[in-house]
Amino acid sequence: MEQAYYHDRNKTEALLFDIIRQNSTEKALGWLQEQKEKLGDPVNVQRFNLTFSAIPRFAGRQVIQTEQPLIQLAEGITLFIHGYTLDRLVRLWWLLHLPATDRSLYVKVIEGLFDAADMNELAALYSALPLLAWPDAWIFRTTEGIRSNIGPVQEAVMLHNVYPARHLEEPAWNQLVMKAFFTDKPIHLIAGLDERANSQLAAILTDYAHERWAAGRKVHPLLWRLVGPFITEENFADIQRVWHSEVNTDREAAALACASSTYAPARELLEQSATLKEEIAGQKVTWETIAARIA
Amino acid sequence: MCCSHELTGREFQPITTSSSYMERIKGMRFFDPHVHMTSRTTDDYQAMADAGVVAIIEPAFWLGQPRTGVDTFRDYFNSLIGWERFRSSQFGIKHYCTIGLNSKEANNERLAEAVMEILPSFLYKEGVVGVGEIGFDDQTPAEEKYYRAQLELAKEAGLPVQIHTPHRDKKKGTQRSMDIALEHGLDPKMIIVDHNNEETVKEVLDRGFWAAFTIYPFTKMGNERMVEIVKQYGSERIMVNSAADWGISDPLAVPKTAALMHESGIDLNDIHLVTFRNAIAAFAQSGQIEEADFDTVKDVDQSLKFNGSTVLRGGQQPRVDKQSNIIR
Repeated sequence: MEQAYYHDRNKTEALLFDIIRQNSTEKALGWLQEQKEKLGDPVNVQRFNLTFSAIPRFAGRQVIQTEQPLIQLAEGITLFIHGYTLDRLVRLWWLLHLPATDRSLYVKVIEGLFDAADMNELAALYSALPLLAWPDAWIFRTTEGIRSNIGPVQEAVMLHNVYPARHLEEPAWNQLVMKAFFTDKPIHLIAGLDERANSQLAAILTDYAHERWAAGRKVHPLLWRLVGPFITEENFADIQRVWHSEVNTDREAAALACASSTYAPARELLEQSATLKEEIAGQKVTWETIAARIA
Repeated sequence: MCCSHELTGREFQPITTSSSYMERIKGMRFFDPHVHMTSRTTDDYQAMADAGVVAIIEPAFWLGQPRTGVDTFRDYFNSLIGWERFRSSQFGIKHYCTIGLNSKEANNERLAEAVMEILPSFLYKEGVVGVGEIGFDDQTPAEEKYYRAQLELAKEAGLPVQIHTPHRDKKKGTQRSMDIALEHGLDPKMIIVDHNNEETVKEVLDRGFWAAFTIYPFTKMGNERMVEIVKQYGSERIMVNSAADWGISDPLAVPKTAALMHESGIDLNDIHLVTFRNAIAAFAQSGQIEEADFDTVKDVDQSLKFNGSTVLRGGQQPRVDKQSNIIR
């Protein structure tokens, strides 16, 4: 039979609870224990939902203090928790208490939480995607999160979240990245950004750059990170344009794009600046340094 | 302005709207063919009326967060042909609407199916001047499916189509929207392609479609750019709208753009075409726009009621005089 969880649910729960314990008052911990007992067997869904909503009132809303910015769920798969408030972390933990054996019931209850969620609940639910049972059940929901217009909700789906890169098909992935540019998100915090780069996305992004230029608007330098590996005859003129920009970060972006390209004229362009070539080789100029400078 | 210098009496003066642009457009009449009044206040209605907006079209759209059931769609469609139309009339503005399943929510197929069942009956209501706004957001297969289905409904009803073009991957999305409409045998003159920009306008016009431009800060067009577009492409089949909604937008975008065009030396007739006449010509193909109604609706009586409700609240005096610019 198919496994509900791909990660070790009990271990994940223990890891989360450790951090919760370090950050909670006795009173709050007592309340959580009480909720676990009241949940009952079989689980009372109404109680499960009620607790999920009530968590900030009883657990606290302070930002957690922890040494570790993320939790290891499985080989190469992490759950990001850095800077979370305690209620958000407790919500992630609480979600692990819904029995997952009956897939259709599990999905129905979780979807019900999404449908009735306020903003903070949505952010918690979307950031919980990597630890939910039945991973392939949340693909449509993820695309709904990308469609959201609410900043913290978009961030929960887009930034530091390993679920989208692992599960979305190419068009939905491209939509996520485009929307991140469109809504001024810190692009470099998208998990799987380079791994999921593709030629279609590069084409969409260059069209987008043309549109911005036509409107007299700036183009985000990190856009060229995703074009770099797909430089061709068709978009090389754009790279040249950025290379000749008056803005430092633009020129560095063009150089980095060329450095990630196998297209011969792009490699030759990079040769024209010994300084940039050297800085890139010496890791003095990276996408991270650009991201830091434009932040 | 907060801490760097001493506050003077000047900072405490109420902000007055610049009347210079109002002078520019004195006596002009405007038609805003895309504005989501449901998300706006009565102040907006008053300001629009004062600036010369005589009629508007409110397309059905996404309310900022996804709906979870068909009943909220039904109530929303009902409000577009009911309460909102009445509310608008209370400010002397003739209100029309277009009805459709927006592209974002087309992705929730379970719900989309249910909406498609109730949609056709709304298309035949009085004052519904088109199917809209429909088209692509994400450009998913589900969006394409319901876009096509609604094109068929428009064709059967003989209604114009108001196409929302996507924010992202706009150029391809716009091309694809037009290709599909032609594939379904629709006449380009029945189709208003909305949210154009410098990159899309040429092809839209070359292929015989109407090209609408949304003057919306930051994300869409600015009106200085719009002036350049009209200088370059003229006024044939071009129209301007505000698409004002729950975002940072401006319900006075059409009059303000007219004023800027005037200031930039654009011919008055061209201004008239892109801010009034063309939109009427396009949407009147529905058979639902009677220009004489723009004047009848001016006889404002705010003490009228809609299903027992009025826009007046406890003790308010009805505003009847549309000529005065003074707010007391």
